[in-house]
Amino acid sequence: GLILLFYLVFYGFLAALFTFTMWVMLQTLSSDIPKYRDRISSPGLMISPKPDTALEFYFNKSDAQSYAEYVSTLRKFLESYDDSKQSQNINCTPGRIFDQNDVAVKKACRFNLSELGQCSGKEDKTFGYSKGTPCVLVKVNRIIGLKPEGEPHIQCTSKEEGMVEINYFPPGGMIDLMYFPYYGKSLHAHYLQPLVAVQLAINSNSTKEEIAIECKILGSPNLKNEDDRDKFLGRIAFKVQMTE
Amino acid sequence: IQDDHKLSTSELEEKYGTSINKGLSSARAAEILARDGPNSLTPPKATPEIVKFLKQMVGGFSILLWIGAVFSWISFGIQLSQGAESAFDNLYLGVVLALVVILTGIFAYYQEAKSTNIMASFSKMIPQQALVIRDAEKKELPADQLVVGDIVEIKGGDRIPADIRLIFTQGCKVDNSSLTGESEPQSRSCDFTHENPLETRNIAFYSTTCVEGTATGIVINTGDRTIIGRIASLASGVGNEKTPIAIEIEHFVYLVAGVAISIGVLFFIISVSMRYKILDSIIFLIGIIVANVPEGLLATVTVSLSLTAKRMAKKNCLVKNLEAVETLGSTSIICSDKTGTLTQNRMTVAHLWFDNQIYSADTSEDQTTQPFDQSSPSWTALSKIVTLCNRAEFRPGQENLPIMKRVVVGDASETALLKFAEVIVGDVMNIRAQNKKVAEIPFNSTNKFQLSIHETDDPNDKRFLLVMKGAPERILERCSTIMINGKEEPLDSEKAEAFQTAYMELGGMGERVLGFCHLYLPENEFPDTYPFDTDSMNFPTSNLCFVGLLSMIDPPRSTVPDAVSKCRSAGIKVIMVTGDHPITAKAIAKSVGIISATSETVEDIAKRLNIPVEQVNRREATAAVVNGMELKDMSLQQLDEILCNHSEIVFARTSPQQKLIIVEGCQRQGAVVAVTGDGVNDSPALKKADIGIAMGIAGSDAAKNAADMVLLDDNFASIVTGVEEGRLIFDNLKKTIAYTLTKNIAELCPFLIYIIASIPMPIGTITILFIDLGTDIIPSVALAYEKAESDIMNRRPRNKKKDRLVNEQLAVYSYLQIGIIQSVGAFVTYFTVYAEQGFLPSTLLGVRVNWENNAINDFEDSYGQQWTKYQRTYLQWTGYTAFFVSITIQQVADLIIRKTRRNSIFRQGLFRNKVIWVGIFSQIGIALILTYGLGHVTALNFTPLRFQYWFVAVPFAILIWVYDEVRKLFIRRYPGSWWDKNMYY
Repeated sequence: GLILLFYLVFYGFLAALFTFTMWVMLQTLSSDIPKYRDRISSPGLMISPKPDTALEFYFNKSDAQSYAEYVSTLRKFLESYDDSKQSQNINCTPGRIFDQNDVAVKKACRFNLSELGQCSGKEDKTFGYSKGTPCVLVKVNRIIGLKPEGEPHIQCTSKEEGMVEINYFPPGGMIDLMYFPYYGKSLHAHYLQPLVAVQLAINSNSTKEEIAIECKILGSPNLKNEDDRDKFLGRIAFKVQMTE
Repeated sequence: IQDDHKLSTSELEEKYGTSINKGLSSARAAEILARDGPNSLTPPKATPEIVKFLKQMVGGFSILLWIGAVFSWISFGIQLSQGAESAFDNLYLGVVLALVVILTGIFAYYQEAKSTNIMASFSKMIPQQALVIRDAEKKELPADQLVVGDIVEIKGGDRIPADIRLIFTQGCKVDNSSLTGESEPQSRSCDFTHENPLETRNIAFYSTTCVEGTATGIVINTGDRTIIGRIASLASGVGNEKTPIAIEIEHFVYLVAGVAISIGVLFFIISVSMRYKILDSIIFLIGIIVANVPEGLLATVTVSLSLTAKRMAKKNCLVKNLEAVETLGSTSIICSDKTGTLTQNRMTVAHLWFDNQIYSADTSEDQTTQPFDQSSPSWTALSKIVTLCNRAEFRPGQENLPIMKRVVVGDASETALLKFAEVIVGDVMNIRAQNKKVAEIPFNSTNKFQLSIHETDDPNDKRFLLVMKGAPERILERCSTIMINGKEEPLDSEKAEAFQTAYMELGGMGERVLGFCHLYLPENEFPDTYPFDTDSMNFPTSNLCFVGLLSMIDPPRSTVPDAVSKCRSAGIKVIMVTGDHPITAKAIAKSVGIISATSETVEDIAKRLNIPVEQVNRREATAAVVNGMELKDMSLQQLDEILCNHSEIVFARTSPQQKLIIVEGCQRQGAVVAVTGDGVNDSPALKKADIGIAMGIAGSDAAKNAADMVLLDDNFASIVTGVEEGRLIFDNLKKTIAYTLTKNIAELCPFLIYIIASIPMPIGTITILFIDLGTDIIPSVALAYEKAESDIMNRRPRNKKKDRLVNEQLAVYSYLQIGIIQSVGAFVTYFTVYAEQGFLPSTLLGVRVNWENNAINDFEDSYGQQWTKYQRTYLQWTGYTAFFVSITIQQVADLIIRKTRRNSIFRQGLFRNKVIWVGIFSQIGIALILTYGLGHVTALNFTPLRFQYWFVAVPFAILIWVYDEVRKLFIRRYPGSWWDKNMYY
């Protein structure tokens, strides 16, 4: 009995102490930006849709079922880019870092879906999957305070030549500097990260073959894309296999 | 049972088909050799080295770690076939685990290999060559070629090549010390003198030494059938009992393994039922096992024991078997030899009687003067007899040595008298030269006296001086006068009575008494040129003048009484086991305190009350002197009764075989028995004892080999120092284990919380190994240097069954209290690191699956930032490092609190044990090297850590210290309370 009581008190005290120290620690943190951001100095790249099976796309262009999931993922992902959702967003000056350090309420820049052209899902509801020209959206990871230098743009290459023709939306795979920097979830609630749509026009001879594609962020000296250990730092590799 | 000693020569020739003059024929010898095998001791069936090695590989925690390694490899195989990138982590982990097992196994094997084999020295004793008569020729043969029936010749200096029935001897003496431990040479003849073949004079034993003379004999036993061969097989037949510390460690291993396995299995089931994949659950299981097993502890224990062993070696206790270090500490009965161990092993004059008065002499080890009254002319006369009637001489060239240390040629009594005279009158050799010896009759057992006739050094006195010493009653018979204060007075019955009283009194003290008398031969009857003839005895040997008595004893070592009383206060019973006469044994026992001044034996009580021994209530007698003859007829129950009822026991006239019986008797009482011994015959008892202690100087090789410990100075007091060290190491091992077990909880909790709350892994398996085998090793060894908290020699020996090395309180306090505080401290650091990087604690809960998903490279933190898998992994390693650093910091506090179990740290002294500080600095140093030096080696999972994270756990470290001080305070304040019972380990 006494033992139980002792441990009740003992652990009660420890739990209180733990809670208290954690509370003190959390008090020292800002709710806007993390104390340190040195572990993510350079952003990673990611694609949407993201297949479950390790970034490999398999679909049959004549079988709507086989790419239905990709399409619905894209649709869902682009929902937040819909014009109706962007009513609060402002039109920023393209090509310039949109510095809002002095402003208490940080504005988000508008990202026009039409920039994504054929991959916007407006004309082609299947994002090109039914035509053998599947779209993949490439996005740059959000990092608070990141200000890319130069003219960052996405460039994708296929290891096998001549199998696929790659088109970028916006043209040249450009990522506009006006979308940077990001001020964090709480200050920058409506922020939309810039997207680059990559349309893969697969050569009709190359169906049934696995096409390896690597996209990299280029043109910006402070965005790494060659890290040995981190295969997603400024780059991403995926595979596409289409059948008819 | 052999009766060869009873047979006549011709019967022997017939029995063995040999001839005394011609010996065996070579052909016949070859036949017998083929039948009996070579004349050498068969070594015991040695366990093959590889088996010993493999045993080390699977002992202790090794099995658990092997299981961990195998599971790692299995999951590596499965993951590899699934093409997962992280598969190689498991391969490395398996390799590391296997390496840990193999390295600790090699370490343990090396330690074991150092303890030597008992048979090694038996084989060393075999003589190389023997002189044999074969085919009527004398031949030198290798001794192992000897067969039964061979005729061998031995001479002084030889080792006896086999058991031999002597058929011809000339002044042959043998040293049987390798067999019996008694170093007094025994004469050998062809006569059958005793029923017992071991006692009869006409058999010489294998491995003993012929000291002087020559002999010829028939080989009657060879190889393993010799007496020593039988003892050797008996000694190796006596099972090696597990040492108490081995039992304790086994108990501890079971305990920890039990906890590890049950938690492991429990969480395996939990994780499976939480829908984790089986493979993941297996990986959790490995982590739990690795976290739970103190990998470095067994090696630490070995190192601590060997440190103590080194310390004991400095104090003249050489420990052969490391575990024996602690056994000595838990000893509750010491069965000690008398001669050499309790005593100085040299005869010394203890008392004198002249002028009707007994004087005591100084018997200490380093006497330079004698304090008794030397003014009486009787003493002058006595000292002259002592000086002259003595054949012993100092070896030349020792003038600079203290008298007591000089080597003397002569028997024990004469040596004692020579040194005694040298101390008092000085330069004996010169006095002898001035009083030229003209005739001499040496001592023999029929006369029982020694006599010599000298010229005197007084140039005016032309008389010869006849001096004589011997058994007092024989000397008195030859006297008609007695010297009182320098004057000869007639020896009337009153004076004879006084002599008797003194003789009895000295004899009653267990001392060897000698009488001394002299006579100045009248000048007219014995002129200068008188031809003294010792054969016809043409001089008077009666009507002499009695001068005095001297009594000698082998006195106790001066350090022994103190050591015995220390044993008493330490609750250790000291039993004297000796081959000596009961009276001498009892006298020595009394003088060293084995029998205390106030206690009485049954016989003493009978004498005091003047009633027959049978009527005495045996329970009233605290002391007992048991004769070996009585012991022989005793049943085991009777022996048990004696051992149980008497606290002070002396066994006298015991044979080495009876020692074994006594040891077994003590062990039946549940005692941990230490036994001292020196002879070959002692080796079974030494092996049987929980700790066998051989004498380094007097001990035979076999005894040293059978023993667990060797006393380099043969001194009983050294045993007591050993006991102290043994008790200290037991206490300190407790501290070491408590220290080591504590952080296991801080290593285990992360896994449990990881499984249950699905947070990112707080600490890696490899990181755990770096704590267990890196930062923690030196500190845990440092605890072995801790001084005792209180006088450990004032408490009773630990109870084997109750006072465990790892008891419930220790485990509970370490695991459930300090360990939990450590875990909390480490988790605070962990959460701090994550929170300051953007993952608030609330975000971390339940993220495990996505966190570990290689395909998710836009994992969102609490601030909306997105992380790639590698960025997360690197953060996770930072978490490992922070967790590791926190455990290390808190282990510093743990190390400091473990310095004492009861006293305040401040009383013990924070800086007294410098090694602790070496431990602390090494701990922090290693942690610094791992974090900042090796922080970039990916495989080790360390990252350079922000400096402030080193201090997050400091408040918790201080809490540990304060809490433990409070715990100790309550224990001291309220002894016997609920707190004391539950919190004192």
